[in-house]
Amino acid sequence: MTNHEHERAIDLVTRRGGEDITAADEAWVESHLSLCSECAEYAALVEGTGQLLRSVAVTASSALVATTQARVHARVAQLHEQRSRRILIAISFCIGAMSSALSAWLWWRFGGWVAQHVGLPPAIVEPGILLFLLLPAIVIAGLLLAFPHPVFEGSLMLALAREHEGEKR
Amino acid sequence: MVATAFSSLVAMETEEAQIARGLRRRDPDLLDALIEQYQHRLLRYLLHLIGNRAAAEDLFQETWLRVLEKGHLYDGRNRFVTWLMSIAHNVAIDHLRKRNPSSLDEMKDPEDGAPFEPEASGPSPLDIAVGKQQHEMFDAALSKVPPLFREVLVLRFQEHMKLEEIAKLIRIPVATVKTRIYRGVMALRPALKGGAQ
Repeated sequence: MTNHEHERAIDLVTRRGGEDITAADEAWVESHLSLCSECAEYAALVEGTGQLLRSVAVTASSALVATTQARVHARVAQLHEQRSRRILIAISFCIGAMSSALSAWLWWRFGGWVAQHVGLPPAIVEPGILLFLLLPAIVIAGLLLAFPHPVFEGSLMLALAREHEGEKR
Repeated sequence: MVATAFSSLVAMETEEAQIARGLRRRDPDLLDALIEQYQHRLLRYLLHLIGNRAAAEDLFQETWLRVLEKGHLYDGRNRFVTWLMSIAHNVAIDHLRKRNPSSLDEMKDPEDGAPFEPEASGPSPLDIAVGKQQHEMFDAALSKVPPLFREVLVLRFQEHMKLEEIAKLIRIPVATVKTRIYRGVMALRPALKGGAQ
């Protein structure tokens, strides 16, 4: 008998029971097992392993199932909430972006109208409008740089203190 | 006969497709039904893989939470049980890595004690009495089999999975599955021989 035949027999023995084996393969493996004691022993061990594994009864308790279902339900609710929040943020962002674009366009047109009536050149009016639009952000940034806000300072110190505490642990 | 096979195939596809749709929707009723349906098989698999009941129960819950979160990745083309076991496999591997990152072969915690805590079952008290010693020996022998081999033995002989399904589930070649089964069976040889005597 060749090695290939033994390998084929072991493969078929391993697959038997869980997969569809053709009648020809079944007949071949049976004839091989009747001639080969080593493969026959392996087949018996496979049979024994299967029988013993199937005889070990493991059951999940109803408490475990109930706890799992409750945790899954809670997570489902959490995920739904997160999704709703994300949608709300996305909608708010879109509305904010649209209103910003619209107001910028209106201010630009207004600036053009002012420039036309007052007689200012566009080279002054256009940067002026841009500055006017960015002015609030520039002022706030400047103020924050000049006078660091105690709230931010406090938050930073708190964060550093927590980090330090975490490192100690 | 062909028509029967075709109709059962269509029914299976429909069922798997329904599960896939339900998982995408995160349908809690479907999840409840799936937990009920696969409770014993999943716990048994995890218990054999981990070898500790308390840890297996934690991982059981963790697996279902991951099924919920990764549900959109299930396309319904494969059997749901195979996908579920692959999720459980990953959860168990993560757990084993956290417990001992060096090697999965050495993950067996010696303090875990008896791995299965099987509930006694059998048609009669006599059968239980006769089989008890054999089961104890077998449990002890199985606990000594490395988790990698134990896993394929369970999937093949308890879950009746095809070698190709196991290979897909664990993400290893079919040849490796066969080798692991062979080595697992051979590792159980003394217990099986002892039980037969």
